[in-house]
Amino acid sequence: MPCAESMRVQAYFDGEADAVAAADIERHIEGCAECRALLDDLNQLRTALRQELPYETAPPALRAHVLRALDAQRPTKWRLEPFWKGAFSGIGGMAIAASIAFFLLAPPLTNPLLDDLVNAHVRSLMPDHLIDVVSTDKHTVKPWFAGHADVSPVVADFAEQGYRLIGGRADYFDHQRAAVIVYQHGAHVINVFSWAANRDSVPKDATLNGYHMAFWKTGNLVYCAVSDTGWDELRRLVQLLQE
Amino acid sequence: MDDRRQRFEVLVLPHLDAAYRFARWLSRSPGDADDVVQEAVLRAFRGFDALRGSDVKAWLLTIVRNCHLTALKQRQRRAFVPLPEEHDAADGHAVIATTPDPESVSMLRDEQRTLDRLMSALPEEHREVLVLREIEEMDYREIAAVTNVPIGTVMSRLARARAALKARWQQESAREPHAVR
Repeated sequence: MPCAESMRVQAYFDGEADAVAAADIERHIEGCAECRALLDDLNQLRTALRQELPYETAPPALRAHVLRALDAQRPTKWRLEPFWKGAFSGIGGMAIAASIAFFLLAPPLTNPLLDDLVNAHVRSLMPDHLIDVVSTDKHTVKPWFAGHADVSPVVADFAEQGYRLIGGRADYFDHQRAAVIVYQHGAHVINVFSWAANRDSVPKDATLNGYHMAFWKTGNLVYCAVSDTGWDELRRLVQLLQE
Repeated sequence: MDDRRQRFEVLVLPHLDAAYRFARWLSRSPGDADDVVQEAVLRAFRGFDALRGSDVKAWLLTIVRNCHLTALKQRQRRAFVPLPEEHDAADGHAVIATTPDPESVSMLRDEQRTLDRLMSALPEEHREVLVLREIEEMDYREIAAVTNVPIGTVMSRLARARAALKARWQQESAREPHAVR
């Protein structure tokens, strides 16, 4: 007959117990030999499974096949789409080629941060995700961050230079609530992420799936500007923000 | 450039490996897993607009599981009984013949094969929760979503699956040293 608490011990082991419950369960485990043994068993089994079962990845042929099948799914009506849809992802064919090459050739990403940034950027371009506070006024955007993000970045409008401040957003990112400042440059959206530096080094500028990412650090904040604009336009904004 | 396609590649395709692994564990056959994953990715792409929230991996694995179940039903309807995946004869010989591999390596291989085989022998509802929890490291809520059962059921299945696997594993390791040599 297993101990009545065994289910809770399992939940604790799986990281599903909140802090209060976890403390409670830990107290129980101290006094219950059976649950201590259960915890050992759970640990042993997990270690064995994770170490000894093959951790397979999709074969390259399957990946290529999937991409070809997706190509075949692509609607052929693209010529009828309004012009701004094309502008949305300015570098078109190159991005397709780049992402196919990326998925076929690139080794698994070593820096999940880059992945997260591009995901956050792409997510922001979905309907209703771009902006939480709509304002072209830095005096509105900056105080808004105080209640919604863990950091307070530099906010400035550069409409005269072609980079219009259109608002701000909070994003959960790198284990904290990052502040995102949104600029519009021509038909492109540029997201400027900022978060408290967790480590000393600032990532190198990178391109992933056609999105450029420029990083810099001011004080203890790391910034990253992400967009599908060209490098020159992106770096111009970085320069303005650093001044 | 079709930005829907690009979003799909960025958000969904990073989980292709997980989809493949899950399909492998469900179908126990590489060929079937390939078919299931291809079908699942296409379904996912067609249904991409309906994706809400950020739990892309759980969403994709749910589709993989549905495709697997559909394929299984079709095979059963055709009264086609798939042969169990043999651990190929070639592999078996490699273990018996003394290879230049250090002892520890071949012992690890035995161990892998043992756990692999024991996992494969578990009922599917036990195997899938174990894979999702221990290999894919998903939480109860995600596992409940993928397997389409309440969280309480996930917990009891996990407990039973772990107990069953552990019992068989212990039996096996008690017997193994004498049986192999």
